[in-house]
Amino acid sequence: MDKAMNISKGTPAATSSRISLSRTTRRRYLLFILLVAPAFLLRLITAAYPILQTIYLSFTNLSILKGTNDFIGLENYLAMGNNIGVRSATGFTIVFILATTILDLVIGMMIALLLNSRFRGRTFARTINLIPWAIPTIVAGYAFRWLLDDQFGLLPFWVTQLTGLRPAIFINPLVSQIAVILVHAWKDAPFMAIILLAGMQGIPEDLYDAARVDGANGWQRFWSLTVPLIMPLTITMGLFRLVWSLGSFDLVYGLTFGGPGVATSVLALQIFREGILFFKFGFASAISVILLILVAVIGTVGLWLFRRSEVTY
Amino acid sequence: MTMNKSLANSSWRRTLSSIPVYLAFIVFTILVLLPVYWMTRSAFAVSTDLIKLPLVYFPQPTLRNFATLLEQVPFGLYLRNSLLFAISTTLVTLLVSYLAAYAFARIRFPGSGVLLWILLLSMALPDIGTIVPLYQILKTLHLSDSIAGISLILTSTLTPFTVWVLVSFIKQVPYEIEEAAILDGASLPQILWHILLPVTVPGLVTMGLINFVNAWNNLLYPLSFTTSPSAKTLSVAITEIYAGYSPWGKPWELIMAVGVTMTIPIVILVLLSQRSIVRGLTGGAIK
Repeated sequence: MDKAMNISKGTPAATSSRISLSRTTRRRYLLFILLVAPAFLLRLITAAYPILQTIYLSFTNLSILKGTNDFIGLENYLAMGNNIGVRSATGFTIVFILATTILDLVIGMMIALLLNSRFRGRTFARTINLIPWAIPTIVAGYAFRWLLDDQFGLLPFWVTQLTGLRPAIFINPLVSQIAVILVHAWKDAPFMAIILLAGMQGIPEDLYDAARVDGANGWQRFWSLTVPLIMPLTITMGLFRLVWSLGSFDLVYGLTFGGPGVATSVLALQIFREGILFFKFGFASAISVILLILVAVIGTVGLWLFRRSEVTY
Repeated sequence: MTMNKSLANSSWRRTLSSIPVYLAFIVFTILVLLPVYWMTRSAFAVSTDLIKLPLVYFPQPTLRNFATLLEQVPFGLYLRNSLLFAISTTLVTLLVSYLAAYAFARIRFPGSGVLLWILLLSMALPDIGTIVPLYQILKTLHLSDSIAGISLILTSTLTPFTVWVLVSFIKQVPYEIEEAAILDGASLPQILWHILLPVTVPGLVTMGLINFVNAWNNLLYPLSFTTSPSAKTLSVAITEIYAGYSPWGKPWELIMAVGVTMTIPIVILVLLSQRSIVRGLTGGAIK
């Protein structure tokens, strides 16, 4: 009796299992969509739509102060060619992202090597390494502006004491550009070091032991083991750095505000000036499109490079 | 005897070979801490001590600059706004990202890999690149010049990376725990809240800290989208004080005092939770 009931109960369940399976599948899909919906809605409203809107606006002369809002085709793009601010900023942006990325990688690698070696004070070094990352960029910008102040800054004071010269950093275009690049490296190389250090720690120790047995010295182990093994990570991070530096705004805003003249201005600062300070939405959007194209180009080239360099160990 | 000699020799060589490391350590420490020292020294000094030559390395410490800030600008209000902005952004980002990360880590869905990839790809978009439409969107939503508005935008910016890290954290949790709960008839909210949340706490804390630092330090959104003291943050305040001239030039003692105020909470957080933050920055890869 019991057995029979079980069977008679079991049979309809078995036949309906196909329907209930598809029902649970549908439920599962619905659940997935519900859970990811807030994240994707946010990105849709504040990332996807704004890109399209930026492209559209770049063909208009929308200006809040002038009250204009007409479709003007490519005029903004043609005007950019004659705009000294934009032309100078485009050039310096490219120099800036290349120089800061290379410096970030080189100095980041040096810091990572230091943090990976054994010495008393290593924990202390690893902890303070996070300070440049954690300090607000705008604060770092002003702190360095003051540290490099030609009258009462510490570094120019030391230079004067040692050489008798009186350096005036923020009056000279080239020196200002170098300062922006170096301070940016101060802020970001420690972050790069954290990532590269993680990569180094992921390399199996027995590879080093094997190299030691083969008689490789420290330098050889670094060049023939560490470097090739963390190359994919280095390229990925270099690529991220290039793209992120394109939008870098805070440091230039604080350290030089693009000065002297427009010598250290970057595209990000030009967009802010034209769009947010002068409310020239159309023109600012055209500069934004140039920036977005640069992001797309560098991203594509970077991904291609990255796929070629993938190694396994 | 010869044994002893070679031992002494090798310990000598070890000491010698560690000299470059210690030199590098000293240079590194000076380079990292020099601007911090300079900022702190200036924030706690009387302005006249900052314009003396030769320079005064350790001026008489004073809290006068902070008192001046409280008198001359709505400093307390800016501080409150910064906290409100950072905390609300952090919490909403964690909530939105946790839900999405659970879906990506645990629910089979056709094309979920591509969706996650698209989400990550959107991280490449520079904040400044879409600043004009964002300004218009906040106007349309009646959220311009409000903490809620800048929180919304920054939440969206921080979500992709947070989702990515949380996915890797959730994937490290053995599925058996949830499976048992599901068999016991637990509902999804129960699983998310009672079963998975407690074991995902390290990941949430990590990303909470990183997002808090990001929001607290954020300049672009408050600078672009807020105009009244009730919504401006400390990062905006420091730019305004810099822009205000004093008879002797820039009021560096006040600028550095705001800088110190912005740096102290962040540095304390970092010193207390170094390992956790590093784990998050490396995408949850390091334990």
